[in-house]
Amino acid sequence: MDYIISFENITKKFGGTTALSGVSFNIKRGEVHCLCGENGAGKSTLMNICAGVIQPTSGVIRINGQETKITGVSHSEKLGFSIVHQEVPLCLNMSIAHNIFLGSSKSTKGIFLDEKFMEKETEILLKEFKLNRRPSDLVGDLSIAEQSIVQIAKAVYFKPKILILDEPTAALTNDQREVMFDIIKKLKKEIGTTIIYISHRLEEIMEIGDTITVLRDGQFVKTVSVADITVDELVSLMVGRELSNEHAVSYKTGERLLKVNNLTRKGEFENVSFELNKGEILGLGGFVGAGRSEVLMSIFGFNKPDSGEIFIEDKPVNIKSPADAIKQGLALIPENRRDDALIEPMTIMQNAQMVILKDLIKGVLIDKKLSNDKMDEMVNKYKIKANNVNLPILTLSGGNQQKVIIARWISNNPKILLCDEPTRGIDVGAKAEVYSILRSIAKEGIGIIVVSSELPELLALSDRILVMHEGRITGQMMREEATEEKFMRLAAAVG
Amino acid sequence: MEKKLALPFKKGNKSFKEFGVLMVLLGIVVVLSIVTPSFLRPQNIINVIRQMTEIGVMAIGMTMVIICAEIDLSVGSIYGATAMIAALMIKSGISPTLAFIVSLCIGALIGFVNGFLSTKAKMPAFIVTLGTMQIFRSIAYAVSGGKSIGAFSQESQASWVFGIGGNIGPIPLQIIIMIILYIVTYVVMKKTRVGFNIYATGGNKRAASLAGIDTDRMKIISFVSMGILSAFAGMISIAYLKSVPTTAGSGREMDVIAAVILGGTSMNGGRGSILGTFIGATIMAVVRNGMVLLSVPAFWQSGFIGIIIIVAVLMDTWITQRKSVR
Repeated sequence: MDYIISFENITKKFGGTTALSGVSFNIKRGEVHCLCGENGAGKSTLMNICAGVIQPTSGVIRINGQETKITGVSHSEKLGFSIVHQEVPLCLNMSIAHNIFLGSSKSTKGIFLDEKFMEKETEILLKEFKLNRRPSDLVGDLSIAEQSIVQIAKAVYFKPKILILDEPTAALTNDQREVMFDIIKKLKKEIGTTIIYISHRLEEIMEIGDTITVLRDGQFVKTVSVADITVDELVSLMVGRELSNEHAVSYKTGERLLKVNNLTRKGEFENVSFELNKGEILGLGGFVGAGRSEVLMSIFGFNKPDSGEIFIEDKPVNIKSPADAIKQGLALIPENRRDDALIEPMTIMQNAQMVILKDLIKGVLIDKKLSNDKMDEMVNKYKIKANNVNLPILTLSGGNQQKVIIARWISNNPKILLCDEPTRGIDVGAKAEVYSILRSIAKEGIGIIVVSSELPELLALSDRILVMHEGRITGQMMREEATEEKFMRLAAAVG
Repeated sequence: MEKKLALPFKKGNKSFKEFGVLMVLLGIVVVLSIVTPSFLRPQNIINVIRQMTEIGVMAIGMTMVIICAEIDLSVGSIYGATAMIAALMIKSGISPTLAFIVSLCIGALIGFVNGFLSTKAKMPAFIVTLGTMQIFRSIAYAVSGGKSIGAFSQESQASWVFGIGGNIGPIPLQIIIMIILYIVTYVVMKKTRVGFNIYATGGNKRAASLAGIDTDRMKIISFVSMGILSAFAGMISIAYLKSVPTTAGSGREMDVIAAVILGGTSMNGGRGSILGTFIGATIMAVVRNGMVLLSVPAFWQSGFIGIIIIVAVLMDTWITQRKSVR
């Protein structure tokens, strides 16, 4: 067989966690090879190894049969790899033509930029991609979909030997997707480019792929030919593992707490409607980019929705800012702890008490004794492991930082708690503690919405799971009837 | 589990943030007292502190603005324009009390405009205040017709407003006022909710806003305080000098920013202290005074200040880093 790339026993460890463990498979020259797996299966890690961004802990990569150590990004490019990432790294302040030729020696004639050549080449390229734009248009003025087409066009222009596309269609419309597929087919036929295609959209994989490799939890599962597999079989290969459906008690009551009606924010989510009862834990699942965090941010008043209504305890509310949301009894534990929750120059204690500060004031001054007592209580209740609460927040581990943020919000006695990826980046022990905190407050009658990309997490916590796909709710499952297969179908919106 | 619970706003138990810059100040004082014995004379010390009051008062507001991760370049022009307007009012026979109030109100208004444009209109404060700096400098020139305003009537000068330039015993009143302003702002920044929210806004605007803090309001409060304090510094100068030159306050913004930066406040926002600013402003005044005592030629003086700023901040970073490594 003519293999362009062979992975042999690739293992990659980050500290204590294993991202890839003994992965071996081959990619044939000139095929469209799809990589499938859930979030965290190890697809991106493998591609970052190909890109030269990281090196494997052990294992061998053969390129054209030769053992090769990919030492860096420029080495990877020299080997013929071209990678289109999920997030678009383009210079928004420059024209399409300049972006296409960014970093290429073809852009100059002598010491001057060869504008004519760049314009002409870009024009041909844009026509091929059916993008109705001029080469001189600024990339910053393009829509996200158009930007991702420019990025793919840039990769295609230099006729790479191996083209890696990581979720390239995430932002594209159906028509744009068809155009892209035509170009992929043409590349394959005319210059024999090998394409590694990563996508969550299974129907897409079935359409464009030749071969599929499934990864699960960092391990190789199977390589199969597209002709020999159905979507159903693919889903069960991806899911595979036993459900760890810890049978938690439900504290759900019959009293309605929150009702969201047709909430829409253009480009993020559409017609999202659901209800939440007292004591209920509602899971919100789906793939990254499905619009789950955006829904929480809008309910919390950080981004105004374009339309839709929100009712709390059956009264319509108009939430214009997070401050309003807090007054209505909402709390939000955001997904991105560092950017959206932590105030880095402040201490552990200051970070913990910023929301309840109003209750710690006597006259106009902050009462030392009151805030010390409150901090004592927080440290004990939420098991925050800190030697000195007056040290900067970043002296804590991720799990303890998260507990500080949880303490910040729960001590304000909210009615509704919105949690976005509450256990991201924290260790297993802290994870279990976070789960038990969430269950205990549900028991007190607080309604909780949990956004998570990990289905086991949703299953461990939620009474009910809503699944989103591309900004819409595609279905819901009660805990008892939830299966990973059902979840994957809803999240990928197939069948 | 070991728990050492101290005050929420106290620096960590062992770290004293202003330590580095305080050492710089002490070093300069020791050197000066050795090379010029006249430096330590009580009259000279009082003189040094009196000379720092205007910068010192304005640096209080600037500390708030910079902790919010903003900047205000218009303070010298606010100082000049409001002082000029007040001087013209007093000159035309309007009561100094009214002139004083009007001057502070105009200062507050300009601060509000700076704050409003930098937050609600989403413009960078650097550009907004670069604009207002030019506008109010122009206004100061235009209303004065390019002349100094002074020689106020005896009756006006009897007002309490001019008393600000006087003494209580041997101590100039303006020093006492400055110290009171420092203590009040220290308490506000360290022990009240507004102060807390200003630090949080500068520390991480997104996170502060998600925690329910109205970050735009915190920034506007800081700019308004800055405007009022600039106008007040202008009133101190009228009371002391009994006249206002047409260029009053010109270039003052750089001295004020320098004092705040010397005091260890981070241009990135969220870090800094009023105490540090006080020490920073003192360093500036001590160095200026030392150069006069040592008869350093006037041309070289600002160059020397420039060197002090760079060296002091370098030493402060160095000392803080070494401390945190330990």
